[in-house]
Amino acid sequence: MRTSPICVWSQVNSERKMAALRAGCWARALQKAKGQGFKHMFFGARTAAGLSKDALPGSYPKTPEEIAAAAKKYNMTVQDYQPYPDEGMGFGDYPKLPDRSQSERDPWYSWDHPDLRRNWGEPMHWDFDMFIRNRVDTSPTAMDWRTMSGTLLGFVGFMLFMFYAGEVFPSYQPVAPKQYPYNNLYLENGGNPEKEAEEVKNYKI
Amino acid sequence: MADYKEAPLASRPKTLDPAEYFNLSPEYRRAEEERAALRANLKRQYQIQLNNPLRKELIEDPALTRWTYARTNIYTHFRPTTKTSLLGALFGVVPLFFWFAVLKTDRDEREEKIKAGTYDRTYKISY
Repeated sequence: MRTSPICVWSQVNSERKMAALRAGCWARALQKAKGQGFKHMFFGARTAAGLSKDALPGSYPKTPEEIAAAAKKYNMTVQDYQPYPDEGMGFGDYPKLPDRSQSERDPWYSWDHPDLRRNWGEPMHWDFDMFIRNRVDTSPTAMDWRTMSGTLLGFVGFMLFMFYAGEVFPSYQPVAPKQYPYNNLYLENGGNPEKEAEEVKNYKI
Repeated sequence: MADYKEAPLASRPKTLDPAEYFNLSPEYRRAEEERAALRANLKRQYQIQLNNPLRKELIEDPALTRWTYARTNIYTHFRPTTKTSLLGALFGVVPLFFWFAVLKTDRDEREEKIKAGTYDRTYKISY
């Protein structure tokens, strides 16, 4: 494709500008860090993401101002924002969202991430990885919990009881040990032919 | 569905929530509008970044970053209380002693049986 000389020139110029910008950034960073020392240049209070320290979760909010700031940080209304109780379990100011799985959300709405049924920037549940659609599902069931658990436990309990009763009171088909003719096969079993075998009667009339 | 009852793993869908069609007070409406405004703002931010033709990198989600940070930095907000100490003892200390007791008694009994010659080895592939 033939590019006009002007396009090529502007492209080269913009690339040069980008390179100059990057070099300028490095120079500025080095100048700033020179005063604070080697450690601050590389291990300074800088998160890997673009977020600042106050956009990350903090400790449990106590005053109403802290609560309002935390609600704003997590993109929630002050009414909805409710931190986990402060019992030292390590939650900090992370919001306590209702325990609803992602499969309960509207499948027809145009989510930003349709497989997760979640919009960008929406506060995530603490157990979000448990509530994805492949895992725990809290959607309403066909019948209520008591009926379901009653039916299952009833059936399993009944079967267990019946098997136990079958162990205690066994019932077999009527069978008896096999009966052999010719005095219990006296000669075949190696009995002496001269000797007279004792009469074995396996029947009773 | 009028007799639908909630359960620990089964929630009430929003369409069966009476508040959605009975209790439409101005405060409720205002709260819903606030939530809608926040949602719309986030949608706008995302769409601007998504449809930016000069964007070359992934769109970073701060909510995801916060979630990851919260889940990995639990110890910074840990505090020894009665509840946490009890849980720590229950899950960290008790199993050690419990399983030691169970396994030791079981193996000692087996050893006694082997010594006495009463150990039944039928249907045993290993010891």
